[in-house]
Amino acid sequence: MKNSHWLVTILVAVAAAYLLGAQAEAQRGGPPAPISPRAGAPVDITGQWVSLITEDWRYRQFTPPKGDYGSLPLLPPARKIADSWDPARDEAAGEQCKAYGAAGLLRLPTRLRINWNDEATLKLETDAGTQTRLFQFGSTRANAGGTPGGDWQGVSTAAWDYPQAAFAARGGGRAPGGSLKVVTVKMRPGYLRRNGIPYSANAVLTEYFDRFDVPGGDALLVVTAEVVDSEYLATPYWTSQQFKRESDASRWQPTPCTAR
Amino acid sequence: MRKARGLVGAALVVVSATVIGQAPQIPPAPTGQAPAIDLSGYWSPVLHEDFMERGPGSEIADYGGFPLNEAGRLWALSYDPSRVTLRHHQCEAYVTPYQMRALGNFRIWEERDLHTQRLLAIHLWAQTTEGHRVIWMDGREHPPAWAPHTFRGFSTGQFSGNALVVRTTHMKSGALRRGNGVPQSDQATLTEFFVRHSDHLTNVTVVSDPVFLSEPMVRSNDYYRQPVDPGAWLYACDDGEQILDRPEDAVPHYLFGKQPYVREFGARYKIPLAAGLLGGVTMYPELNARLRTTTEADGSALLSPAAGRASETSKTVDGEVRDGNIHIMPIRDNVYMLVGDGGNIVVQTGDQGAFVVDTGEGKLSDKVLAAIRTLTSNPIQFIANTSVHREHTGGNEALGAAGQDPSLPGSFFVQAAPRGVTGFFSDPSSHATMMAHVNVQVRMQAAGAPAAAVPADTYLEDRRRKFHNGDAIEFFYQPNAVTDGDSLIHFRRADVIVAGDIFTTTQYPVIDIKNGGSIQGEIRALNEILKTTVYRHQGEGGTYIVPGHGYLADEHEVLEYRDMVVIVRDRVKAMIDAGATLQQVKTARVTADYDTQYGANTGPWTTEMFVEAVYSSLKGGR
Repeated sequence: MKNSHWLVTILVAVAAAYLLGAQAEAQRGGPPAPISPRAGAPVDITGQWVSLITEDWRYRQFTPPKGDYGSLPLLPPARKIADSWDPARDEAAGEQCKAYGAAGLLRLPTRLRINWNDEATLKLETDAGTQTRLFQFGSTRANAGGTPGGDWQGVSTAAWDYPQAAFAARGGGRAPGGSLKVVTVKMRPGYLRRNGIPYSANAVLTEYFDRFDVPGGDALLVVTAEVVDSEYLATPYWTSQQFKRESDASRWQPTPCTAR
Repeated sequence: MRKARGLVGAALVVVSATVIGQAPQIPPAPTGQAPAIDLSGYWSPVLHEDFMERGPGSEIADYGGFPLNEAGRLWALSYDPSRVTLRHHQCEAYVTPYQMRALGNFRIWEERDLHTQRLLAIHLWAQTTEGHRVIWMDGREHPPAWAPHTFRGFSTGQFSGNALVVRTTHMKSGALRRGNGVPQSDQATLTEFFVRHSDHLTNVTVVSDPVFLSEPMVRSNDYYRQPVDPGAWLYACDDGEQILDRPEDAVPHYLFGKQPYVREFGARYKIPLAAGLLGGVTMYPELNARLRTTTEADGSALLSPAAGRASETSKTVDGEVRDGNIHIMPIRDNVYMLVGDGGNIVVQTGDQGAFVVDTGEGKLSDKVLAAIRTLTSNPIQFIANTSVHREHTGGNEALGAAGQDPSLPGSFFVQAAPRGVTGFFSDPSSHATMMAHVNVQVRMQAAGAPAAAVPADTYLEDRRRKFHNGDAIEFFYQPNAVTDGDSLIHFRRADVIVAGDIFTTTQYPVIDIKNGGSIQGEIRALNEILKTTVYRHQGEGGTYIVPGHGYLADEHEVLEYRDMVVIVRDRVKAMIDAGATLQQVKTARVTADYDTQYGANTGPWTTEMFVEAVYSSLKGGR
């Protein structure tokens, strides 16, 4: 009996606190004005970064031979295209940037420069192939619907990503820190690897950009990527690329795309 | 009632915080940090990167993307994959940086304090090699430099932002890349970041290795969450004979510049030979520009040590403790290792008096005695010496004088023995009995050591045995190893072997030619250790080996040391067979892949002295 009495008291106290909190918020004029994605960034990924090509080294530092598509979950149509890869044909067609599209770009040996283009847009540039990607914060539908896309870099929608509970709106459940999540669609068909491994116009690229500071050492940017392409891939294609922060801007060496 | 009041109190704290619109101020927990992310569950690796390495195996000379220094590159080039046919290599587990890339599933779970529910540790179980990692989350310190190493190492973690950050030390040596010899030394340290995006887990590994890498090696591993237990968590392995009648002192390897398959990789993929051999630059976009100015001859030159360069010196954490204190390392049962006074000292305690193996350099004998007194109130009854060298006998006089051997007074032996032969048996109640191979006694007497420092209880042939403090203690004579008086001393129940300077983790073996040492004897002695050891699991644990200098080891460290000694011997022998002079052998830098681990250009035992000893030993047919 005594126990139930205390239980009721506790429940009443908690409910009162919740109501008081809501009332106090209403008296303050509602929720605070939203801050811009730039101001609210949980992590700073701006600056110059250089690729650390420590995995799939042969595939990434050199152009692999035709038909060499180890590790990739390719469907037969993709193999057929890869087996007919002809860099001279790509050059003749002015498509020497096919390996520099969003789904393959960050796998190349390159430097990145990431900066805020405006309060809601991050700009990522590469010196390899002199490509530019724009990560627009906002809803996917608004960005993808309002932009034609169809170029190598497609349309990218950005959001800060936090590990949180499914019912996070009820309070709590969100961890500190966060990642940049970028979803890219409407890409012009390109190559996952230089030797003609294709992805289609319907491919969806989802990336998470995480910054890690090595104690007493470097700052690392790790981009975890997933390519979903039901036309050419049997399963999602998962990779993670690492970059090291660089302070020496003179190492930035813009070079044009090459098909070979 | 009290409990109910406590609950209300807690509720009111939350209430007041909510009303004023601020998060409750909870001081950070000094230990048992609350998790920022939950890694628990079943995880399967995604093999969309480096499948060749992680599946079938890496190709010879495919070292691109690894910031190998010269030692690392040469170590890899010397490696023969058939080395894994040697019994002791067959079941070796993976070191953590490679373990995280291995095939097979992972299981992760939390360990929490039952009463406080604070997070104590995060456990990872890897199916491949049954790799069990423990990441301590309770704020504990890493072990000291003289503690044993394991394939997984010692890991501590903390949450930072949305990541788990893990630091690992005390790893064994192993393969940074599987199958083609890219090495990781026992001096490597690892920083990891675990970050989770829904059902996608990313693990970033940053390996720093002063022995084999010129800069940190960064890789990332991806896993997807399995909703149900995928099963198959075991990885049985027993070693056995794979090649019969192979000589005991054969270790598969290639001489510098003689790796026959080194050009296959480049030829197959139309990549210049140098591309995979250039170390750090191979990781960066500048590689292709570099290769445009690199010739085939440049690549060939990288297959051997750079000529005309001084030997590198050890980049390891100094395994010798020089802080003026004696540190006690419990080994197993009633056996302890004492470090701090030159050579390592072992103490066995029990109902009988203490049994001490080696006495250090003798500079800190008072502190050694004080340390022993914290382990037992009984006096030192026996002292055994593994060799004649000063770092192992220097404290004989002081430790001997502080002991007594109660088994002798009144015995027939003492009463019948001619007094004054060694000065020892005349008054056993005031002195511990000292034991060693007879050549230790002979060498010490010849060197004019005080009688009270010279072992009097000696043995002549291959074995001496004694049952003491509930354990069987065996001495095994190792003729002409470091000297002509070396003993391996085995505590059989505790399963601890005291190796003396036959094995160290800090330097090349001190082949003391003048005192009867030889390279062949040293190899035989190392193989004797390996014939006696039994690992507990996947090539580690089980029999402990106390080195003459350095950290407490098991058979893996002895194995790698034996391999090194054999490989260096083979290189010197090949040059002798080709008519090389000692100077030519020195110039060839035959130890170039081991110098960053064991090398010294100054001090009592230099790389040059080691090479000279190997050369003169082989020239003398020993």
